Amino acid sequence: MKRTGITKPMRRAVLIAALFVLPVVFVAASLFFGRYPLPVRDVLTAFIRPGSVPLATKVAVWQLRLPRALAAAFVGASLAVSGAAFQSVFRNPLVNSGILGVSNGAGFGACVAIVCFGGGVWTYLLSFVFALAAVVLSWFAGRISRVTTTITMILGGTIVGAFFSALVSVMKYIADPYSQLPSITFWFMGSFASIGYSHLLALIPMTLGILLVFLSRWRLNVLSMGDREAAALGLDVRRCQFLVIGGATLCTAAAVCISGTIGWVGLVIPHIGRMLIGNNNQKLVPVSISLGACFMVLMDLLSRTLTGAEIPIGILCALIGTPFFVYLLKKTRGGNWT
Amino acid sequence: MILHIQHLSFSYSETPLLRDLSLTVEKGEIVCLLGPNGSGKTTLLDCVLGFHRTFSGSVSLCGKNVLSCTRQTLARQAAYVPQIHTPSFPYTVREVVLMGRTAQAGLLGAPGKEDRALCGAALRRVGIEALAERPYTSLSGGELKLVLLARALAQQTPLIVLDEPTSSLDFKNELLFLDTLADLVKNDGISVLMATHALDHPFYFESKGLPVRAVMLKKGEPARVGAPSDLLTAQTLLDVYGVCASILETNDVNGRSVKTIAVLGREEKAE
Repeated sequence: MKRTGITKPMRRAVLIAALFVLPVVFVAASLFFGRYPLPVRDVLTAFIRPGSVPLATKVAVWQLRLPRALAAAFVGASLAVSGAAFQSVFRNPLVNSGILGVSNGAGFGACVAIVCFGGGVWTYLLSFVFALAAVVLSWFAGRISRVTTTITMILGGTIVGAFFSALVSVMKYIADPYSQLPSITFWFMGSFASIGYSHLLALIPMTLGILLVFLSRWRLNVLSMGDREAAALGLDVRRCQFLVIGGATLCTAAAVCISGTIGWVGLVIPHIGRMLIGNNNQKLVPVSISLGACFMVLMDLLSRTLTGAEIPIGILCALIGTPFFVYLLKKTRGGNWT
Repeated sequence: MILHIQHLSFSYSETPLLRDLSLTVEKGEIVCLLGPNGSGKTTLLDCVLGFHRTFSGSVSLCGKNVLSCTRQTLARQAAYVPQIHTPSFPYTVREVVLMGRTAQAGLLGAPGKEDRALCGAALRRVGIEALAERPYTSLSGGELKLVLLARALAQQTPLIVLDEPTSSLDFKNELLFLDTLADLVKNDGISVLMATHALDHPFYFESKGLPVRAVMLKKGEPARVGAPSDLLTAQTLLDVYGVCASILETNDVNGRSVKTIAVLGREEKAE
């Protein structure tokens, strides 16, 4: 057993350190790459003595690449952690962050902003508000005789999601096909292209949401035993669900409102985590946060450097992530799922 | 007194399912709930565990009224082994047993070193430490039931409530489970309230010399309570189940006298 001479606490410490350090490394690394070629030394100098580099360099590093990488990291972490949380709450491995209608709600909000208010800051505001509204509606739609059970909540989410998706179609139908419709289409493909520091306001709800799920991570295991058993084990199921769903909703809504819908991450990153370290949410939640952040920063980097024009990140996530996921599935033989 | 039920009545519809039921479970005692399908066995367990909250009468666990207890307090008095466990994510057996410590952790807390030690002890007590790192979804039905028992044990409650724990097990696993349970009652002073369809179970505990009582439920009728040998007679079985049966007596491998029931036919078929 102890061939390697590495003890369990040591392995644990290394893992925890890696979880913290990796996203930072990815964000830092992404500052050195981009369409505007910058020597490594200039980027470093821009950090140490911003006054002594050309303005263009300073702007590229501080105003463009850094906020973008930070936003990507938080969005990736948010989507992955909420996916993991929803999978446990609904005891369903097929669930992703959009299960309670968040994405469709946000999509509708964005459409309304683009069609009625010409986009801009309204897009972020309305998509955030409608994402939250969709989840609240799902909760009430699934409420039967003063109780919302897990299964009726999924039903509620599906129905409300479909409702908002129909509303999105309505908005697309009435949108101006030359100016507004392309904006809507691009929003749905996801992008970090226009991120600046003002958008980082969304980091507040994202951090709060991630923190709520992180603090509830062990209870997620208990919740996934089903309402009845969880209650018999001593869990206040309603309160715990409220905290977890509230946290997951908050960070997903904030993520989607600045990046557009990126559906793939919330489903697959938690599963990659499950294959790597198992299903215990105590480990899975931090691993999902870290993996999600790294993955999204990498994808954003690729989306802005691979070709002359930016590739929408939603497309890239699915195109690159899917083969990687299949590879992992084969390699880990399904991670105990079979 | 671990469990004290007074004048409990419960109904889903117009006709009451449980009527004016009074029952106690003492420390180190086994109470077997018997009765046909739909006679209210699981309903009674649900009242005890605080899942049903609209009954009349009173149910108290270790002197505390269950209706005024939080889930956490309840889970410190009574642990629950469900009849059917719908498999969740492939957690390891150790992770599942550790969930028994939920009631000891705060709203945002997680189990600590002491909880892990207790969970290891529970695994050993039930004799499944060899399974500890296996995904619990890959276990056989018998092994899974032992895992759920270990989880209940990790809860360290004076009372364990079981709902038809052996209904899906083969002969040997059933016996293994009952032996484990009997051992817990005898050596750890745990009290047991179990619903079961096997009328041989109360006889089994009786043959082991453990304090055991049987409760026979029938829909809408007052419960019959008594020692297995007194209560479980051919007449009771005819009245409650509508079957003709015979109580046979034989010896187990240790030479102890043990009773068993042979069902001979339905009442309406009898001449």
